[in-house]
Amino acid sequence: MSAHELSLRSAVNDLYCDHHGWLSGWLRKRLNNSFDAADLAQDTFVRVIKARNALEIREPRPYLSMIAKGLLVDLFRRRSLEQSYLEALAAMPEWQHPSLEDQAILLQALMEIDRLLQGLGSKVKQTFILSQFDGLTYPQIAERLGISVRTVNNHMAKAMEHCCLMQIQLQLS
Amino acid sequence: MSLSTAELAAISVAARWYARLQSGVATDRDRREWHVWLNADPAHRQAWQRMTAVGEQMASVPGALASPALRGAGRSRRQVLRSVVMLASAGSAGSLGWLGWRSETTQNLFADLRTAVGERREFRLADGSSLLLNTDTSVNLRFDGRQRVLELLRGEILVTTAVDRSQRPFKVVTAHGEVLALGTRFIVQSQTQGAEVAVLEKAVEVSAHGADRKVRLEAGQRLNFNALELGPVGRTDASTGAWQQGSIIAIDRPLAELLADLSRYRTGVLRCDPRIADLKVSGAFPIDNTDRALAALESGFSLRVSRYSRYWVTVSL
Repeated sequence: MSAHELSLRSAVNDLYCDHHGWLSGWLRKRLNNSFDAADLAQDTFVRVIKARNALEIREPRPYLSMIAKGLLVDLFRRRSLEQSYLEALAAMPEWQHPSLEDQAILLQALMEIDRLLQGLGSKVKQTFILSQFDGLTYPQIAERLGISVRTVNNHMAKAMEHCCLMQIQLQLS
Repeated sequence: MSLSTAELAAISVAARWYARLQSGVATDRDRREWHVWLNADPAHRQAWQRMTAVGEQMASVPGALASPALRGAGRSRRQVLRSVVMLASAGSAGSLGWLGWRSETTQNLFADLRTAVGERREFRLADGSSLLLNTDTSVNLRFDGRQRVLELLRGEILVTTAVDRSQRPFKVVTAHGEVLALGTRFIVQSQTQGAEVAVLEKAVEVSAHGADRKVRLEAGQRLNFNALELGPVGRTDASTGAWQQGSIIAIDRPLAELLADLSRYRTGVLRCDPRIADLKVSGAFPIDNTDRALAALESGFSLRVSRYSRYWVTVSL
């Protein structure tokens, strides 16, 4: 093991010993749930290890809380999507109770799509959903949203480009 | 991200083309112009494939569920419920299938001719041609002084053309390509991923929207195609067009494929345990009563059919 590798490891170790307790507390306050807090604290340190930059961190607590905040946002989005998904499912009487395995597949697929859509403006996203999932034509979307067909077309192009770049980025990471 | 400026530019243009062709009101001219762009540069083709990959990811979930769930994410519960109610009253929740999630899109509701899931219906056209629509199919008719065009929005049709006094060409246009009839009887099936054509009498000429090549298919021949390419020419067999008589004929067919085919004729989800997806099955399976077809699988191949509800069925060992 190289000297650099050794010092990197010891830096991560120090970081963990000095700040893990603090980070868990920070997360607990925002989650009201010590299990989730413990998971996210763990995930935060996994990110630090993967980034291999522990030696360059000058202000550990702001840095750790920045990563943790990103993970919190992801978790909340996932929860919110799960909630909407369950409500949508409940509103369809025929569906009743598909197997948990099938539900997990659907939910996972939805979360991946939700990630692609992240960062789109609300009108653009709405347009995209009406076209791709509700199957409306552009004139129908234009009428529904009170915008021109041309704008619908522009929104769709923007959304497709965004999703495509996100998909490539997620495949690379 | 390791994309070059040229790649980014191609993606941006491809996105605009994709948007234009998805409008639901795209014209033949749009498709011709797209075709020219597509073939102008291999980079265009690559960017286009990236767009279709996005489209495929979107098609991996049922639209009727994805729409309220994705719109609801991060919004209040009441708004979510409202959008679900709107969706339900629009009738979109009716026919979900593992492979045909989006069977009841509004575009299809407004088609000139359509059949519901499990329905088959014959139509006689103004020129004397006849048209048999298989399950869950939507067709628009565009007949004018110059040509007779059937737009197959989704599903499967059997066309028997009549001789036209003014000798207008007769063609079937799908999202993927065109089939030009040469005095004939033939079947065209179109799905999200691609289309299939089989010739029963005489001949047709098939072309994909994005390929220059045209293929002449004679009676007894079939081929699969998508917007980018035409597949190899194969032979039709006893199973081709058996749906006219109300059955699917399977000869050593992988179970997953047979179930995917059966699910076109019933609402709800029909799932196959991945462990037996490749199990070879043979037989004639009734499509007008798919529960009977499932019962035949259960007894004939010692499979287990689990019903969570009428709309969620899994076939396993």
